[in-house]
Amino acid sequence: MSKTVGIPKGLLYYDFYPMWKTFFEGVGAKVVVSQDTNKKILDEGVKNCVEDACLPVKTYVGHVINLKEKNVDYIFIPRIVSVERKKYLCSKFLGLPDFIKSLIGDLPPIIDIEINYYKNNDEFTQKEFIKVGRMFGKTEDQSLKAYFEATHQQKKFESLLKKGLTNLEALKVWEGKNLVKEESNYDLKIAVIAHPYDIMDEYISMGIIEKLKNMGAQVYTMEMLERDLILEGASMLSKEMFWNYERDILGAGLYFLKQKNVDGVIMVSAFGCGPNSMTEELLERIFKREKEVPFMLITIDEHSGEDGIMTRLEAFTDLLRFNKKAVMV
Amino acid sequence: MKITYPHMGSLNMILKTMFEGIGVEVIDPPPSTNKTLTLGVRNSHEFACLPFKINVGNFIEALDRGADTIIMLGGIGPCRFGYYGQVQREILKDLGYDFKMIIVDPPHGRLIDFLKELASHFPNVDGKTALKSFVFAVKKMIAADKLEKFLLKLRAHEDNPGVTTKIYEEYIKKLEKAQDGKEVDKIVSEAMKKIKENANVRRKIQLKVALVGEIYMLLEPFTNMDISKSLNELGVEVTKTEYLSDYLINSAFKLPQRMEFKKNARGYLERDIGGHGLNTVANTVKYAKLKYDGVIHILPFTCTPEIVAQGIIAKVSRDYNIPVMSLVYDENTGQAGYQTRLEAFVDLLYRKRLDVVV
Repeated sequence: MSKTVGIPKGLLYYDFYPMWKTFFEGVGAKVVVSQDTNKKILDEGVKNCVEDACLPVKTYVGHVINLKEKNVDYIFIPRIVSVERKKYLCSKFLGLPDFIKSLIGDLPPIIDIEINYYKNNDEFTQKEFIKVGRMFGKTEDQSLKAYFEATHQQKKFESLLKKGLTNLEALKVWEGKNLVKEESNYDLKIAVIAHPYDIMDEYISMGIIEKLKNMGAQVYTMEMLERDLILEGASMLSKEMFWNYERDILGAGLYFLKQKNVDGVIMVSAFGCGPNSMTEELLERIFKREKEVPFMLITIDEHSGEDGIMTRLEAFTDLLRFNKKAVMV
Repeated sequence: MKITYPHMGSLNMILKTMFEGIGVEVIDPPPSTNKTLTLGVRNSHEFACLPFKINVGNFIEALDRGADTIIMLGGIGPCRFGYYGQVQREILKDLGYDFKMIIVDPPHGRLIDFLKELASHFPNVDGKTALKSFVFAVKKMIAADKLEKFLLKLRAHEDNPGVTTKIYEEYIKKLEKAQDGKEVDKIVSEAMKKIKENANVRRKIQLKVALVGEIYMLLEPFTNMDISKSLNELGVEVTKTEYLSDYLINSAFKLPQRMEFKKNARGYLERDIGGHGLNTVANTVKYAKLKYDGVIHILPFTCTPEIVAQGIIAKVSRDYNIPVMSLVYDENTGQAGYQTRLEAFVDLLYRKRLDVVV
């Protein structure tokens, strides 16, 4: 019987699941994903995590516990240091496997390979994946083959994002599921800028994206933008951000501000998010100075109420529609 | 050009010595007070960390006093500190200040690169004078840190409460004004002698606590509400684990310290995660092995590397059976609340020792 590998449905799951899944299946493992976030998962996460950790990390802890309860043979918690040359990820990703191991006892073996493209060579990360392959009794060639297939699938997934699908929708399409057909009578265009792990988890974000769609807004996320557009936006700053996702947030925000191709921008971040305290501050100030595109910040945490979010979204969409009418008259 | 910089432990003494040595006018930011903090909090993002907010407060106060150039460190991550200067500049701009901000991106470990980078902003200064004033500044820093290390141990034994602190403050002021190396040496030895004369209390059970955590919080007594003093007054010897001079000495003579951190943290945290997360874990292990009675971890609210470390040192605490307490500071922290927690913690350490004795 093939071994099972658990992948927690949190943090960078929404960005890299196709790659990870393809690789593990390529080396003969069976992939088990934790459940969608629910009250139990979040409660377990909050209970077992450090109080000051951000919401997505607490949720992630809950997902790891969920996998532990499913008795998987391994849990995949990679140490993702960098996914782009000369760019880091937030500190929590650098210490994630160590952190999780310290928090939760009696875990099955953790696959904690290091994913690190800081020096821009694929070789380091390939070697790490070969190590994983060896755990499943695969030779170097077999692992490499699985790795290349995995990166191929990842590219396929990313091209779906660029077609205007959100990460969640793209994951569905990639897995061969059909999307629910949307009515397309949107009269607003809203950019939602955030880490995918904050807005793609429908439980912790309280379905912000769905809600906006129901209010008649077409939603754009930063993953839908082509890389050069983001870089174009980011180039307006005097020093480029050293975290690639924060660079993307700033770049996407500034791009939308410059192009004015959306009616409004909403930035969503988790309570106590360190990196976002920098990007929010900058974006908010720049948007205020320009006074061209309305900008709203939403902070989510484990105590956020759905009604509060609903009211703010309604107020924001009302304001955008009001703006539009004012322009027409 | 009137230069200013943020407060950070003995850093202001050093920078002042250095810039005055090369003939640049310096405007010291006034000592950090609640007003500084309020100014910072009002103009910063709510989740920016306490050091960021105090920096902003320092800058505003110094600019109000006539400074026109700010020196700030930069960085390349993953700690967000590397982007502070960029964000702070925008904040101050929006407040309507007219100033120049020099953001010096630090070297990757090598001191000489840092100095070269800094020097490039002062083209008219002759290299020899600059180097001389830098060396003297470093000497002062080492002296100040040496004195503080001594203080944190001996103050726990003082006969007359409060006297040691007064002696220390008096001599630190003298040190700031010192003009040459000989004078610095004399001040330090005199201060140490005086402190020693006033430290004769001996206890059957002498507690020792290590302070670990984020460097700014450890270096700035204002931000940590002078936690070492509170502990000393409870009769506890304190070892602070971060000193600027340690970094300077270590970055000048290659990096044995980094290797030591990695070695100590092995099994708990396998790589540098930015900020001082690795140091916190390594130091906790180190002082647990040295049989200290307890470890106090101090961090600013929302500091990601320290939050990761906080989760990990809880396991170190279990494995080595050493009490560890994390204290998170932000602008709403009350002195009385933390004093109570410190007292409870010290009581716990004391009882733990009693159990062993019995």
